Amino acid sequence: MASKFTHADLEAYLDEALVPTEMSEIESQLRTDVQLGRELAAINARRDAGVHTLGEIWRRQRISCPTREQLGSFLLGALAPEQADYIAFHIEKAGCRFCRANHDDLKAQQEEANDAVATRRKKYFQSSAGYLRK
Amino acid sequence: MKSASETDRLLIKRIRSGDGDAWGDLISRYEGRLLAFVESRIGRRAASEDIVQEAFVGFLTSLPNYDGRRSLESYLFSICAYKLTDHMRREGRRPALPLSAGADSGGEWQLASSARGASSIARSGERRNLEETAIVEALQQQVSRWKERGDWVKLQCIELLFVRGWANKEVAGELSITEQQVANYKFDFLARMRAIVRKQGLSEDIFPEIYSE
Repeated sequence: MASKFTHADLEAYLDEALVPTEMSEIESQLRTDVQLGRELAAINARRDAGVHTLGEIWRRQRISCPTREQLGSFLLGALAPEQADYIAFHIEKAGCRFCRANHDDLKAQQEEANDAVATRRKKYFQSSAGYLRK
Repeated sequence: MKSASETDRLLIKRIRSGDGDAWGDLISRYEGRLLAFVESRIGRRAASEDIVQEAFVGFLTSLPNYDGRRSLESYLFSICAYKLTDHMRREGRRPALPLSAGADSGGEWQLASSARGASSIARSGERRNLEETAIVEALQQQVSRWKERGDWVKLQCIELLFVRGWANKEVAGELSITEQQVANYKFDFLARMRAIVRKQGLSEDIFPEIYSE
């Protein structure tokens, strides 16, 4: 049975870069669909053999991603309509996980209580600062 | 290839010398987007924070390997994605893949020797990076040109075709253009990519999709 996912979707799945709902769908289907597992293994084998795809390079190198500043302006409604439409497309239709994360973070910053953020940052610092070079 | 910004380069330099304030600045700068990335996938705040915490520790322990040619944000996202995948595997949510693609599915891509050494794979990684760098600049120039000219439909068309892998018909429907227009945009884009591959002296075999049309 051919999978309903495109080759590009499966590559994005392997890179943890597909939209979360589709990541979960693939994980669910993998439990019963042996062929899907083989398709993913074949992609890994192609990569190991040195074959590139434009999609994986585009995604990994963030070729068309807007800057974080542009995402901030998008949230403020301060971009030209065509540029704003493109950013909405890039997040919703192209499904860019990294820009979605930046977008959601900027949005949360507008809404989240400052003390909650400060507590979280302190926790990260205390748990990792011991690994700094002495 | 997008490299680290000047601000990030200075931060990294200070962190490498053990500056705790710089490390605190980096955490403040990046933790929110990393948390949003992880939480969108697993949906639980406490577990998401644990994964981001592991990613920051992972960043410091891998810092000697970070060369600054890659954007700091992309590097942090890649560490976070690795920690997230690891977490999903431990929880049994991400099934293991078969080691072989099997004879009936992509078997032609199986390696000639199953006993391929780690050093051989590492060399391939270096070569892949060089090949990738050669084409990244061309892609970035093309996308910048489309953005400057306001060719948003062309950009969306190519992104759906190559990044999402959609068929011409689906792309045409989504963007309200004809299938012929999609085919024309695709033809022009692939012709440009083929020219770049030729100019850079790269083998056609490593970019088969560019020659498949």
